[in-house]
Amino acid sequence: MNDFIWLVRREFWENKAIWVLPACIGSLMVVAGLFGKVEIAVLHANPEQSEQAGALFFAAVGGIFWAAMGIYSVWYLLDSLYAERKDRSVLFFKSMPLTDSATVFSKLFVGVIAIPLVYFFAADLTALLVAFVISVRARLAFGNVLWHPELWLQAQALWLYVIATGVLWYLPIVGWLLLVSAWAKRAVILQALLPPLAIMLAELLFLGTRVSCIVLRDRILGGGYAAFHHPIQWSLVTGEMTPGVWQLPDPVGFLSSADVWIGVLVGAAFIAGAVQLRKRRTDA
Amino acid sequence: MMSSSPLVEARGLSKRYGSFVALDRADFIVQPGRIVGLIGPNGAGKTTALRALLGLTTYEGELSVLGREPFAERALLMQEASFIADVAVLPAWLRVQQAIDFVAGVHPRFRRERAEALLAKTDIGMRRRIGELSKGMKTMVHLALTMAIDARLLVLDEPTLGLDIIARRGFYDALVNDYMDDTRTIVITTHQVEEVENLLTDVLFIDKGRIVLDCSVEDIGARYAAVEVLDDRIAAARAERPFYERRALGKTLLYFEGADRQKLEGLGEIGVPSVADLFVAKVSAERAP
Repeated sequence: MNDFIWLVRREFWENKAIWVLPACIGSLMVVAGLFGKVEIAVLHANPEQSEQAGALFFAAVGGIFWAAMGIYSVWYLLDSLYAERKDRSVLFFKSMPLTDSATVFSKLFVGVIAIPLVYFFAADLTALLVAFVISVRARLAFGNVLWHPELWLQAQALWLYVIATGVLWYLPIVGWLLLVSAWAKRAVILQALLPPLAIMLAELLFLGTRVSCIVLRDRILGGGYAAFHHPIQWSLVTGEMTPGVWQLPDPVGFLSSADVWIGVLVGAAFIAGAVQLRKRRTDA
Repeated sequence: MMSSSPLVEARGLSKRYGSFVALDRADFIVQPGRIVGLIGPNGAGKTTALRALLGLTTYEGELSVLGREPFAERALLMQEASFIADVAVLPAWLRVQQAIDFVAGVHPRFRRERAEALLAKTDIGMRRRIGELSKGMKTMVHLALTMAIDARLLVLDEPTLGLDIIARRGFYDALVNDYMDDTRTIVITTHQVEEVENLLTDVLFIDKGRIVLDCSVEDIGARYAAVEVLDDRIAAARAERPFYERRALGKTLLYFEGADRQKLEGLGEIGVPSVADLFVAKVSAERAP
């Protein structure tokens, strides 16, 4: 356990972008909140409209952080086992009494738990600061909405639920990225993309079907579909936020879905492969 | 108390990369308290042998290091064995202080104050990033980290490659003065034999994946002779079956193994070959048809 903490700490030393990137995004948003044009008209609209604006505000802040996190996590995972071979520091880390599985798991942990949590806290802090700035600038007219505790609580719970379900849902993709990272001797991004593209193309050419294409699309886009009740009766446009959010998550349905567990098995196999490669490869 | 069983025992150690045979049924042992030089030309299989010893690669044959099977038990093995494989492998983003903290955090046999004392002798600041240091400084940081680990076996693979003469000297001086005692065992590869020659207690010559000589340095004088033969005695000298012959600067040197001293006496001036000369003679003789 102690070793694991050091391995995670080491990832934060190496990958400063884990916290620098969200800090930059957050700072930009605060600056925008300070000097940007606040549409007073919206803020002084009727309660329903401003509630809707409040929900949109959280969705926008969260969405930007979420997108940045997705891109960065993919990059981090792809680079994690490749970089140490490229700069040959793997020869230093392998001289320590640390197992290859602990090393791979530390990178998995950072990629799917630590990074999302950092972005979660960054998004929270940013939302808080920007909400405060806007409230002051709009002379508290908007404040009632942004300081709505229920809205805050809902956003927190939703985000954490998405992180937890995302770990399981995206495990096959995460495992694949780690496997390529442990395998590739160059051009990691290309090597991560080419095999799935080749399979889809081969299937289309020789069988005339698109099964692999659909499977991959559903995996990439279907996380929310699997984790939430659907059809989603709730929309930002009509602003039906208040009654619905607690009823949105569908953990029972998610955990009893075969798709989830098939994905977990595939992901576990990829991760086991990455551990075996980490045991064998020391050069890039 | 030292046990007399060997620290390293390899039997039929082999490694293939596709059709290339990097190690070809190599047998060798390393006894505790020795400084063994694993010496061979480029591509001879030195690095492959060391990687096998350290659990960094799979292999065929039997191999036991500190009683463990290296590939299956690398993490456990690294509690008692340490290595420096190649120069400048410390990551550029790491700070000296972080390197010490990290090793202290994960290595049960690391003595922090020892590493700090070793670094205090240099002018390398604790806040410096490895990437900002010169190649020689990086090597000294790595050596300080490694020497602060109470390991029974230390493996060094070309630890001074590409360093200037001052840094190389500093490296070996630190190793001999601050590290080596009779509880330690060192296995070292280098192709600059002259530099480690007076450090070694044993030599292992390796060529084309095979061990061509396994000998302690004190036995070289008893087993081998290099005779500077006078021109009119060459025929007589060749009759004593030298294993290698070399002409340089108008002199003819004949190398003998296990020859009768008295028979060599009349042939010319007898000397003990240096490790480097013996290495060239052995490897050249092995390669001759």
